[in-house]
Amino acid sequence: MDSVKTALVIGGGLAGLEAAIKIGQAGHKTILVEKEAALGGNVAKLFSSFPRWENPVDLLEYKINKLKECSLISVMTGTTVKFAQKRDKSYSVELLSTTGTKNKIEVDAVVIATGFELFDASVYGEYGYGSFDNVMDSLQFEAKLKEWSENKENISPPKSVAFFKCVGSRDRSKGFPYCSKVCCMYTAKQAGLVKDLFPDTRCFVFYMDYRAAGKEYEEFTRSVIEQKHVRYVRGRPSKVLPEDGRLLIRAEDTLMGVPIEITADMIVLASAVVPSHGTKEMSKLFNAKIDQYGFIDHEDFNPVKTGDRVFYAGACGFAVENLGAMHQGAAAAAEVISLFNQVD
Amino acid sequence: MPDSTKQVTQSYYKTYKLDNIDDSLKLELKEKCGIDIETCLECGKCTGGCSNTHIFDFTPRKIVQLIKMGQETRLYHLDALWTCVSCQLCVDRCPAGIDIARIIDFVREKAIKRGAEPTRSNVKMFHELMLDEINKTGRVGETVLMIKFNLKRGLYFENADLGRKLFFKGKLKLFIPGIKNIGQVRRMFNSNPVQREV
Repeated sequence: MDSVKTALVIGGGLAGLEAAIKIGQAGHKTILVEKEAALGGNVAKLFSSFPRWENPVDLLEYKINKLKECSLISVMTGTTVKFAQKRDKSYSVELLSTTGTKNKIEVDAVVIATGFELFDASVYGEYGYGSFDNVMDSLQFEAKLKEWSENKENISPPKSVAFFKCVGSRDRSKGFPYCSKVCCMYTAKQAGLVKDLFPDTRCFVFYMDYRAAGKEYEEFTRSVIEQKHVRYVRGRPSKVLPEDGRLLIRAEDTLMGVPIEITADMIVLASAVVPSHGTKEMSKLFNAKIDQYGFIDHEDFNPVKTGDRVFYAGACGFAVENLGAMHQGAAAAAEVISLFNQVD
Repeated sequence: MPDSTKQVTQSYYKTYKLDNIDDSLKLELKEKCGIDIETCLECGKCTGGCSNTHIFDFTPRKIVQLIKMGQETRLYHLDALWTCVSCQLCVDRCPAGIDIARIIDFVREKAIKRGAEPTRSNVKMFHELMLDEINKTGRVGETVLMIKFNLKRGLYFENADLGRKLFFKGKLKLFIPGIKNIGQVRRMFNSNPVQREV
């Protein structure tokens, strides 16, 4: 291996950062492409994380510092991949930056880490997402939490906040049949954070099942219920009606078998995780294997491989937690490194 | 309307024995209506939005649950079969796409064929009287219907005061002329009647 090999990492979220750092640290040239102006992806939008209430900004800062320490990694923010052509053992890729400059490069391996988007909940007319101001999805609510924590004194706390789980997930008529895996945990986190900020605010979480399959996850959810006193209601809300400037929720408490009504000031929809626009584009460009929903799928019994010299990491494959994204980023990097180190 | 004593008598629990679950209704629904009851997530979105739960003895979710539990005979005696207005709200909201209104309609037919009566109220009698009225005159004469309903139950003066008020406001007519082509209506009744079989 005398010639220098180059890896292209698409997406500067947590998984992409991890992959780029590991490949760079192993001594290979790495190009990290991010379409936004700043690195961090969806993790940068979060106010806190589960299961340890850590600030994701600390985690990102640590990773970005690591990235900067490595001279072999070049970061290109505000850049998208426009075109890719398969050569014998490489890809020739055309990059386009927001300033309009085009750039043609030759890369030997690709890691797709294009992340996720949230399902557009406005298909549920009954929840009023998009028509009522105080009905928002979970990423919008993370921004709200940031805003609240920054000037806590000047804000009149909401009297009650309701969280709807499984909006678009576990719904084969208007959404997707799959479970989006992370919503149970981040909903518990968000409800707990509201109680931390405003102890007098009532929090209701509408759930069908709460899924806490992970290290410390069950303890985390139980602590939100037991120590932070978030009220869990078993049932899927059926209708949201505006009433005197607040929102009236109609649902069934399926454990009691009775219809219930709750008035809330704000409703947070834990919308399903769906493949991002970028994931769909990149899977086409690099001929990656995808599943029926458009998430990238693995092949050859290799959990991070999705095509010839194409690997993937993070939520472009399926909804994943911070820790899982880092695992996958590192695993994809290991694949790239072992490919580069092979004696031809 | 259920009075409070009726609601109290519902609130004690009998054990349902699930050793020999009878799947026949479940299979029948799948075969004849194309409804897969097992896709139900037990989320209660149907019931949360239902406009008639206040007069139901069993809510839509519980009806689906009864079918899952193979409690077919309990199902035939439900009041809810006859108080459901088939507004289809539960069908529209169901994340599993289960057509609950169709299920209730299907069970209703089966209840008629078995001659099963709802145990809680005589709502089925009201349905029969109303259909009878349509069969005879082609339309529903409210006055006649209410009087017949009262007579048949032996509650001669129930809502009589309300009836009087409505009458003097011109909302109730004593005599209602029949429609012209009553034959067409009757043909409809005779073409495919659901009748008691057992």
